[in-house]
Amino acid sequence: MIKLDGVSKSFGEVEVIHKLSLEISEHQTAILIGPSGCGKSTLLRLMIGLLKPDQGQISLFQQPLTSDNMEKLRQQVGFVLQDGGLFPHLTAGRNITLMAEYLQREGGWINSRLAELCELTHFSQSLLEHYPIQLSGGQIQRVALMRALMLDPKILFLDEPLGALDPLYRVGLQEDMKSIFTQLKKTVVMVTHDMGEAAALADQIILMRDGQIVQHDRLKNLATNPTEPFVLEFINAQRKPWQHLEDQIK
Amino acid sequence: MISLRYFVLMVSLILATSSLSATPPALKIGSKKFTESVILGEVITQHLNNNQVLATHADQLGGTRLLWKALLQGELDIYPDYTGTIIYEILHGEQIGTQAELRAHLENYGIAMTAPLGFNNTYALGITQNTADKYGLKQISDLKQYPDLNFGFTNEFMDREDGWPSLQNYYDLPQVNVRGLDHDLAYKGLEAGSIDLMDLYSTDAEIAYYNLKILEDDQHHFPEYQAVILYRIDLIKQIPNLDSLLGQLSGSISDSEMVQLNSAVKIDHFSEAQVAQKFLKQVFNVESSIKSIGLVGRLLQTTREHLFLVLLSLSAAIIVSIPLGILAANKPKASQIILSTVGVIQTIPSLALLVFMIPLLGIGGPPALVALFLYSLLPIVRNTYSGLTDIPQDIRESAIALGLPASARLRIVELPLATRSILAGIKTSAVINVGTATLGALIGAGGYGQAILTGIRLDDTGLILEGALPAAVLALLVQSGFDLIEKSFLSPGLQLKQESTQ
Repeated sequence: MIKLDGVSKSFGEVEVIHKLSLEISEHQTAILIGPSGCGKSTLLRLMIGLLKPDQGQISLFQQPLTSDNMEKLRQQVGFVLQDGGLFPHLTAGRNITLMAEYLQREGGWINSRLAELCELTHFSQSLLEHYPIQLSGGQIQRVALMRALMLDPKILFLDEPLGALDPLYRVGLQEDMKSIFTQLKKTVVMVTHDMGEAAALADQIILMRDGQIVQHDRLKNLATNPTEPFVLEFINAQRKPWQHLEDQIK
Repeated sequence: MISLRYFVLMVSLILATSSLSATPPALKIGSKKFTESVILGEVITQHLNNNQVLATHADQLGGTRLLWKALLQGELDIYPDYTGTIIYEILHGEQIGTQAELRAHLENYGIAMTAPLGFNNTYALGITQNTADKYGLKQISDLKQYPDLNFGFTNEFMDREDGWPSLQNYYDLPQVNVRGLDHDLAYKGLEAGSIDLMDLYSTDAEIAYYNLKILEDDQHHFPEYQAVILYRIDLIKQIPNLDSLLGQLSGSISDSEMVQLNSAVKIDHFSEAQVAQKFLKQVFNVESSIKSIGLVGRLLQTTREHLFLVLLSLSAAIIVSIPLGILAANKPKASQIILSTVGVIQTIPSLALLVFMIPLLGIGGPPALVALFLYSLLPIVRNTYSGLTDIPQDIRESAIALGLPASARLRIVELPLATRSILAGIKTSAVINVGTATLGALIGAGGYGQAILTGIRLDDTGLILEGALPAAVLALLVQSGFDLIEKSFLSPGLQLKQESTQ
């Protein structure tokens, strides 16, 4: 479904992605994780063509990404950013339906799809008339998710979609997302730095460091069969705060 | 680029209508922006009209060069000037000793000159009686002993070949405190003591009014400034008796008569038209008919002219600037060129810009429109550019990631988000434009500047306000108009944002 072959990307002198190859198959939820600056967000932007690789090739749906097919392919994928990236001058509803309207989908279809998505993401239809500035962070991410899902894409790319949210809303949306991904059978690539979130959502985890993949596997295998000490170090570093909490509660 | 095509169409329409109106049967008489010239222009105009030659008066235009160029271009047909000015200012560098030689030189340009009108309005240096007594000043060479005196000269006198540089050289004068200022304001400065000496025209009405002392030109620096009428030779084909008609005015005004005519306008507040009418009645015993327009009529006319200048130049600027701003925002290489070009245009002095354009566009509305158009570009281009480049990265990425093509992103996302900034740019341009349009009067484009110019010239505060107040009101109206547009055009999503951040 998604294939990267020897992809490199530099910003000026700094090489952010180094000869990276990767394959993600259909209906899988893959989590890109790693320390800050490891290149996970850059990798995501390369996959959707927001950035152009200096070397190597990226294919979606078995088609290499070129500037000619880029716009067509993008219409078959969804993208959610950390802060939602909603258009502030449009209502929540218009944000979601914008692309469908641009592609001149039929009005009835648009409305029923909108209702369906509201139900799926537990978003009150009465809020569709609100502008982004009038919505909470959690509501904004639900709208961003609906916008990404509107045209029923096969692939979803998410860049730390829960990163800016209050922990309380975070769990709720995380659960909703999990059920949506499995229910809709999407291929999902999501960037996060939170191991707990990765554990909750991932079929497979892609652990990165310094522009390269350290290990690409199921979480269980990462813990039981790490390719190098860094893998365990990374997992345990994220568990530590929780251990303190659990110890103190006990 | 469709908008560019509209712009070209509009400009050519303006040019087409102006060239239609530039060839009416009426002769165009010009005058410079000082009272004597306006009176002479009025005398010529009324005299021609009295003799069945249709003529209109484009009064108080900018300086000598502007009128001369307009005359060569055929934008003007006739205007009064002075022999000294023609020799030293217009034909400088030529060896001209006699009037016959002067006439021959002018003929090379297709311009004819009448015999002198009778008076010699030469340059002179004037001081107050107090200053004269204090320093014992009688003649120009006396000035050598007082290097600390403050001089205030007209800008024209500062620059011209027979003006300050040559005078200083000729008399070897040591003064360095010399500044340029408007002739009519110089009298005020002299009276208030902020300057000690000014350049005068020897027929100025104010010399008697302010009881000024004229310093004798003891070494004969200043040439003669015999008033004459210049006109295009090719007019004679059209109006065979033009020569003799204008010739009737030769020798008709003596030095003292000219001082009286100036005084009737500047001190007794008659209009130039009335003064010219009275003069022609005396000389030819003919009653010329003059139109006098009341305050309301004048306001209506200047408002119409001003609005025409502002609206047309601003619309053209909007049509051109927004695409330029968009281009600059999308092409980093082009942005350097575009932003610095419109920036440089803004630094060209307005009068200079107007003079540059006379050979291309003549006088009147078109050059004023083009100048205002050029001055309106910078705020709109800049605000379009910054409005677009200030859009946050995540919003930009979202629009791309949705799969919207560039043109749709611009239309649906980027331009709406830049609207506030673009409107602010247009508002700035409009307000500046309303103010700058008052300069249009200098090249005969009319507008509120007409009253301001006349007011300054005649030292008439009422007249200045007649131009300045409506201009201020118009600027305020424009401002609140755009605030209204912003309220109704701007998405509530963006307006709410501002409320919540306040």
